[in-house]
Amino acid sequence: MQNTQENKNFLDHMASRFSLQGFIFAITLTFFLVSILFPFYWMVSSSFKTRAEIGGREPVYIPGEFRLEAYQELLDPSNPSFQNFGVNIWNTIKVAVPTAVIAVILAVLGSYAIARLKFKGKNFMVNAILVVYLFPGILLIIPLFSMLARIGDTIGFDVQDNLGVLVFTYLAQTLPVALYMLTNYFRTIPDEIEQAALIDGCSRLEVIWRITLPLAVPALVSVAIYTLMIAWNEFLYAFVFLNSHELFTMPIKINTIWNDPSPRPHVVMAASTIMTVPIMVLFLSLEKYLAEGLSAGGVKG
Amino acid sequence: MTALSEKPTAVSRRRRWKSKDAQEARMAWALISPTALIVFGLVLFPAFFSIWISFRDVTLGNLNDVFNAPFVGWDNYRAVFNDFAFKWQGWGSWGAAVTSVVYTFTATILTLVTGLIASLVLNRPFRGRGMARAIFLFPYVAPIVSVAFVWRWLLDPRPSGVLNDVLMGMGIIDLPQAFLSTRGVALVLVIIFEAWRYFPFAMLMILARLQAIDKTMYEAAKVDGANTLQQFWNVTLPELRYVLGAIFLLRLMWTFNKFDDIFLLTGGGFGTNVLPVLTYQFSFKQFNFGRGAATAMILLAILLAFMVFYVGVVMRNIDEE
Repeated sequence: MQNTQENKNFLDHMASRFSLQGFIFAITLTFFLVSILFPFYWMVSSSFKTRAEIGGREPVYIPGEFRLEAYQELLDPSNPSFQNFGVNIWNTIKVAVPTAVIAVILAVLGSYAIARLKFKGKNFMVNAILVVYLFPGILLIIPLFSMLARIGDTIGFDVQDNLGVLVFTYLAQTLPVALYMLTNYFRTIPDEIEQAALIDGCSRLEVIWRITLPLAVPALVSVAIYTLMIAWNEFLYAFVFLNSHELFTMPIKINTIWNDPSPRPHVVMAASTIMTVPIMVLFLSLEKYLAEGLSAGGVKG
Repeated sequence: MTALSEKPTAVSRRRRWKSKDAQEARMAWALISPTALIVFGLVLFPAFFSIWISFRDVTLGNLNDVFNAPFVGWDNYRAVFNDFAFKWQGWGSWGAAVTSVVYTFTATILTLVTGLIASLVLNRPFRGRGMARAIFLFPYVAPIVSVAFVWRWLLDPRPSGVLNDVLMGMGIIDLPQAFLSTRGVALVLVIIFEAWRYFPFAMLMILARLQAIDKTMYEAAKVDGANTLQQFWNVTLPELRYVLGAIFLLRLMWTFNKFDDIFLLTGGGFGTNVLPVLTYQFSFKQFNFGRGAATAMILLAILLAFMVFYVGVVMRNIDEE
């Protein structure tokens, strides 16, 4: 009797303790989910509101119906305040895709050399490239700007309003991370397979092409997506290097629309939705591969 | 010659090995040189060039002839230290140097704590955990421009701003407030934004470490009668010490260097002007590139001083413990 009483008390005690813990857990989880998801909900839902709903006396939490007013302003040439956002989408693609492709190609070559080949000055090289992580973009933009202006003057290209120059500066920002991530991955591929192929008479480049690359596809995909994301989202360099509205990438254009004298948050939210959704879809569909790269510094900043 | 190739001696074998090594090294240099050229040309050289510019008078007029810009000694640095936007002028106006340090430390610590809580939540098994983890990464993965403007829209000074509506509904404020244009409030909001956006980075790293902790340590602690809080304090936290130290350093560095977030949220106004934004203003608003470069060098110097202190003193103490 005494014993069961004690047991019961114990169980009650455990139950109350566990529910308290569970309660705190549930509250915390809900808090996180709400504070993360609400801004994203607000972005998408605001993009479907009318100007009246946006500027009313209180926020409209659920839009009355899906109105495409904001999207029309961005994309429909017959709209009175047409923003020609299609051009900005295209510019972003023109910058982001080449950055990703070139960064992957160069990083494959470089990281293969670091992971597999012996050469003098390797450590110095690796450290020098990683030091790049330390330098703030804002510190580099002044010398880059004046340096490229000088070189451009001599060779004959414009620094401003030149998407090619932008790709180059993005490569400098993304290559160190790409190199670091790929080197780590190549080190996990056993060397024996490659040695066997070398003994069979393959050249180094054949080995890279036929053996290493097929084995490294997941890493290549995640490096490509990271560099694509960095170039897609980049603000500062594009902001300084681009002046003409026809060459603006999406982030700069969104900043311009927000700072327009007549405030139109629904249009900004529509443009942000257009910019954000592809990135989020890409990331979520490959989250399994990508999450690891995040903590390796895939997204700097 | 034929005799040598038929009967390899030790010398010739070594020579052949050596030439193979040399071949490999040449190959390696060929493979890595494009990357090295871009990184050295567009990052390391500009970084040193920045030091040079900070001692020169470079404006829009002589930007095309920058290599002949006149030498001005420490003038740029003096001008920055005496600038009202830079120096401390009492509690009403902190100046960018103090604001930067306060902002960076508070935001980093808040990011770290938020990331720790998030990782503890996700370390507990529950249904839909994979989904929750993916959602937790949203703020970090989404483009900075989008999330910054969503926040500005949530904090909008008009009555249609969500925070205004919520606070007025709860009777905390009577009239709509311009939160991001209020000194003090703006800085706090920018810090909260940083934690909201960057906690997933801390979370992922802590989570990876949490899952590697030996489970028997918790069982041993339970046998010793430790409750959940004691287990966290005496088992979990010591195990996380290194990873927390590493995240702290990385986040501190990145936050200190960060331009986009504050520029997009407040433009550096209302007591939120930090060194990267000040650098931008000197360079691309006043077109005084020399002064901008000097500001950037001061930023880098503060950062380096802190890193040397942190790695040399704090990390060593952790090692000795």
